[in-house]
Amino acid sequence: MPSLRELESSFGRALLGEPEAALLDLIAADGLAPAARLRIYRNHVLVTLTDTLMATYPVVCRLVDERFFGYAADQYIRAHPPAVPCLVEYGDSFAAFLAAFGPCQHLEYLPDVARLEWAINRALHADDAEAIDAARLGGVPADRIGSVTLSLHPSVSFLSSPWPVDRIWRANQPDADPDATVSLDAGGAQLEIRRLSEDVVFRSLDAAAYALRTALARGDSLERAAEAAHSADSGVDLAQTLQQLLSDGIVTSICVPSPFTHAAGQC
Amino acid sequence: MVAHDYRVPAGPTGAGIGLRTPHVAEILATRPAVAFLEVHPENYMGGGQALAALERLRCDYPLSLHGIGLSLGGLDVLDTRHLARLARLVERLDPVFVSEHLAWSVVDGAYLNHLLPLPYDDESLDTMCSRVSRTQEALDRKILVENPSRYLRFRHSPISEPAFLGELARRTGCGILLDVNNVYVSCRNFEEDPHVYLHALPMDAVGEIHLAGHSMNDVDGRTVLIDDHGSRVAEPVWQLYARTLERRGPVATLVEWDTNLPDLAVLLDEAATAQRCLDAMRSRARDAVAA
Repeated sequence: MPSLRELESSFGRALLGEPEAALLDLIAADGLAPAARLRIYRNHVLVTLTDTLMATYPVVCRLVDERFFGYAADQYIRAHPPAVPCLVEYGDSFAAFLAAFGPCQHLEYLPDVARLEWAINRALHADDAEAIDAARLGGVPADRIGSVTLSLHPSVSFLSSPWPVDRIWRANQPDADPDATVSLDAGGAQLEIRRLSEDVVFRSLDAAAYALRTALARGDSLERAAEAAHSADSGVDLAQTLQQLLSDGIVTSICVPSPFTHAAGQC
Repeated sequence: MVAHDYRVPAGPTGAGIGLRTPHVAEILATRPAVAFLEVHPENYMGGGQALAALERLRCDYPLSLHGIGLSLGGLDVLDTRHLARLARLVERLDPVFVSEHLAWSVVDGAYLNHLLPLPYDDESLDTMCSRVSRTQEALDRKILVENPSRYLRFRHSPISEPAFLGELARRTGCGILLDVNNVYVSCRNFEEDPHVYLHALPMDAVGEIHLAGHSMNDVDGRTVLIDDHGSRVAEPVWQLYARTLERRGPVATLVEWDTNLPDLAVLLDEAATAQRCLDAMRSRARDAVAA
């Protein structure tokens, strides 16, 4: 009799691969081959995790059809099983997996569609947080405003794609016009995905707003984010772009570094 | 090991339902008369609309948190981040019950999303006792541990499942969540008598009962029952439930339905059947006292 740890480890490998003879020897037949009994467990694991991925990636599933999706999901689950028991958090690396998955290499836009669906899923389940009053930024001394960093709402994320992933997504919603087509030459998208009230929304940002917000989301100071916005669009109205960010209600904290230590303080 | 005295909330003794996302809007709008609602805490550990709806419902219904992710029978290090998230949710929602399973689901860093079987021996018992105790300490409350449905047995498994659960309850002070459908499914799959199983279980430790539907599947020419929670409760399970209530007395009872989810009305109808069993039990008890 192996230790419980050895037994569970072998059982886990059997669910994601093939059972080892030593494990089969531990299972009572009870009128059915031990391998068949293990398959009952394996089917449940693969079916429920495939369902989880299908629920998170319905547009990808529609684009490749359910059978191919099941095939890809099966490979993905065996190579990347969940690391956490909260299944709404499962599948973050599915887009990267699809990008490297031989049989769908010709669908170049597919990984970015998956990234959009992951951002939507992430926004739906992100922690709650209160937006701060934008007027608080006005209270920061003028000589320190450039070094301020902002935290954005946990649901917010950004996606830049050379493909029109927003149009592809909309054309594949249940209520979309079934005859609508999307030209892959329609241009790329720079999107902000977030939760608004309790619903998830996404929209296109202009180049300057996208540069400003992604820089702030990375933790850059306001000054560096403004430089990024200016690089993206030299004609940007910085005051207006910043005002728009503050009035969107996605800033959840302002951090003013101390003038003495240059470390984060007064947050 | 010394059993601790944890706070045991006075739970409802009526029939409740498992709350599933497609039913939430209708339940919010119509507030059907059920004794409690049960959810998987793993689905509410972030924020957003699911948690907001649950916050609204908890004003009108006692809640029960039925966990599937702690892997109490596992040997990977106990997931303290998950336990901390569960503790935060327990604090926020103040549920009447917190429950988990006599099973494991995490090995070598992988969460396998299934309630996987243990050999019932001393090593498994020590593992379960240690992890149930740590969970109860972290939550500062008693948890209920549920019997899983089983599709295989290990050759080396010298302790019976009800005796294992009884000893777990005795050593840790935890309660038992008795899934009557799982008893039926497991016993049928191994040609055992479910009445013998129930007789071996310490009924005073049972804090909640689960009922659900199961399917009958042909596996290589042999019929295997699988608790897919995808249909009405089967008649033999209702009979077993009635026998259980005779021994246990009225106790909170939950109807679960997860696959092939029906209209809410069907689920409420199943809960109403359970409620009638509970009511009949109470009136018989009253008659016995009067006599």
